[in-house]
Amino acid sequence: MKNDKASPMHYLMILPGVGFIILFLGSSIFLTVCQSFGLFSITGKSSFTLDNWKVIATQEARDSVFFSLKMGLLSSVGTILFTFPVALFLRKGGGGKRFLGSLIKIPLFIPALVAAFLIVNLISYHGIVNEALMKLGLLKEPLRMLNDRFGWGVIVIQIWKNLPFVLLIVMASLAGVRDDTVDAARNLGAGTWQVLINIYIPLTMPGILVSMILMFIKAFGDFPITSIAGPIYPSSISFRMHATATLYQEWDQAAVLGVIIIATALFVIWAYSRLAEFVQGEIR
Amino acid sequence: MRRFYLLLTAFFVIVQLVWIGVPIMMAVLWSLVDPQYPWSFPHLFPQRLAPAPWIYVFKYTNIIKALKTSYSIAPFAVALSFLISLPTAYVLGRKNIPGKKLFNLVVLLPIIMPGMVVALFLSRVFTAFRLSQTFIGLVLAHTLMGLPYMLRVLTTSFQTIPQDVIDAAENLGAGTFVKIKDIFLPMVRPGLLAGMIFAFTTSIEEFNLTFIIGTPTFETIPTILFSFMGYNFIRTNAAVVALVMMTPNIVMLFIVERFLKSDYLSASLGKM
Repeated sequence: MKNDKASPMHYLMILPGVGFIILFLGSSIFLTVCQSFGLFSITGKSSFTLDNWKVIATQEARDSVFFSLKMGLLSSVGTILFTFPVALFLRKGGGGKRFLGSLIKIPLFIPALVAAFLIVNLISYHGIVNEALMKLGLLKEPLRMLNDRFGWGVIVIQIWKNLPFVLLIVMASLAGVRDDTVDAARNLGAGTWQVLINIYIPLTMPGILVSMILMFIKAFGDFPITSIAGPIYPSSISFRMHATATLYQEWDQAAVLGVIIIATALFVIWAYSRLAEFVQGEIR
Repeated sequence: MRRFYLLLTAFFVIVQLVWIGVPIMMAVLWSLVDPQYPWSFPHLFPQRLAPAPWIYVFKYTNIIKALKTSYSIAPFAVALSFLISLPTAYVLGRKNIPGKKLFNLVVLLPIIMPGMVVALFLSRVFTAFRLSQTFIGLVLAHTLMGLPYMLRVLTTSFQTIPQDVIDAAENLGAGTFVKIKDIFLPMVRPGLLAGMIFAFTTSIEEFNLTFIIGTPTFETIPTILFSFMGYNFIRTNAAVVALVMMTPNIVMLFIVERFLKSDYLSASLGKM
């Protein structure tokens, strides 16, 4: 490539796109952090204080944080568990696989709220899933899968909605595993299980990690799905933050929760980049 | 062995049809329940079907207004994100400037950052600048969420333009304007289509920011669906709105499958 020397002109051209994002995201995050420490407060007095942080360490807040962490973890792990076998299966094309592929991708284009509604319809106390399981004799009484204390309803919705998204990423990663590698291992006498553990999983780790990170953050910080299908208590951390701000008008305390959410997301991303480097190192 | 794979494929197809089809079918059924024969517990199917819920929703709720709002914000958001992305994608795709990795990360931030936090505090910023509860505010917010997709796709498109073509054009004396008109714009067109579709669907589905910044002045399809699912949970109404919200997306799905390779999505998101 000629003309590779960076010129001020280049930075000027980056400004619209990158600048827009930094301006709006940055101001929002900046305000969140500031308000958590009492600066720029809307409720009159603005001064640096750690009071908000102390106040927020209530049992309710802790429960919300743990609940959201749980949602993030179970949603991402659950989706990968479902997705990986399907990705492996779809790897060898042919037959009705294209049709299957298109079918699987449908939830990708279904908005989160619609997905929430669709699944809520199915898993309600007298919904079709419960009725079917009872008719089959597998259940004596319906399972409470919606608005349950554990949060299963949310997890099911997250898995249903995000499976195609994760599938696309994992399949892209899987496509990078060359058949010769697999054949070579088979030639050396590796069984199916060994091929899975020693070849497929390590080589698709980047894709798996990326999708798990994205899913974790989305499920952790989710608002609409959890307010619709989640338990009354504990509420998700985003919901608590929203209620603290708009219902109780305690914006500064809400800002603390906001900082916790942002910090968790950033930490997870950092952990991912560390983990990715480690995995890359192992593969060499 | 072939037999086994065929059976397995058939099994997966059936599982998928149930997994995807049953939820959608239930929504369709619920949207057609005759209000005089409410569908409840012991019945496996609604006793009578009637278009009544659809008529009710379109007549007595704000769905038409919400549709208008959603579909008027989206084109502006897409256009704005396209215009903003062009120069940035050009530099990120073709030039090696210091800090490029950092910039690429920044581009992805709106997708990564948890939505409700950004929404809540951006609304505060907007209120300070009198942008809250305004159409422009909503367009700006939707643009913010669409930019990552538009930028990633356009950057990839710019990357694939062969340098020889540009060199040849310059050799023949093409100025910047001609280069843009005859080389860059035509060659990024497939990527542009993909980016436009992603940005458009992102805008239509956008909830968190719209909910905080727009409500109650503006209602979009997602916010109206959310309101139908909370306090006013009338299942039939929610079913109608859900289907209305879903149909254009499925149409887009077919367009995308037809005209674009699905590698686009995984390529733009997987290369992180």
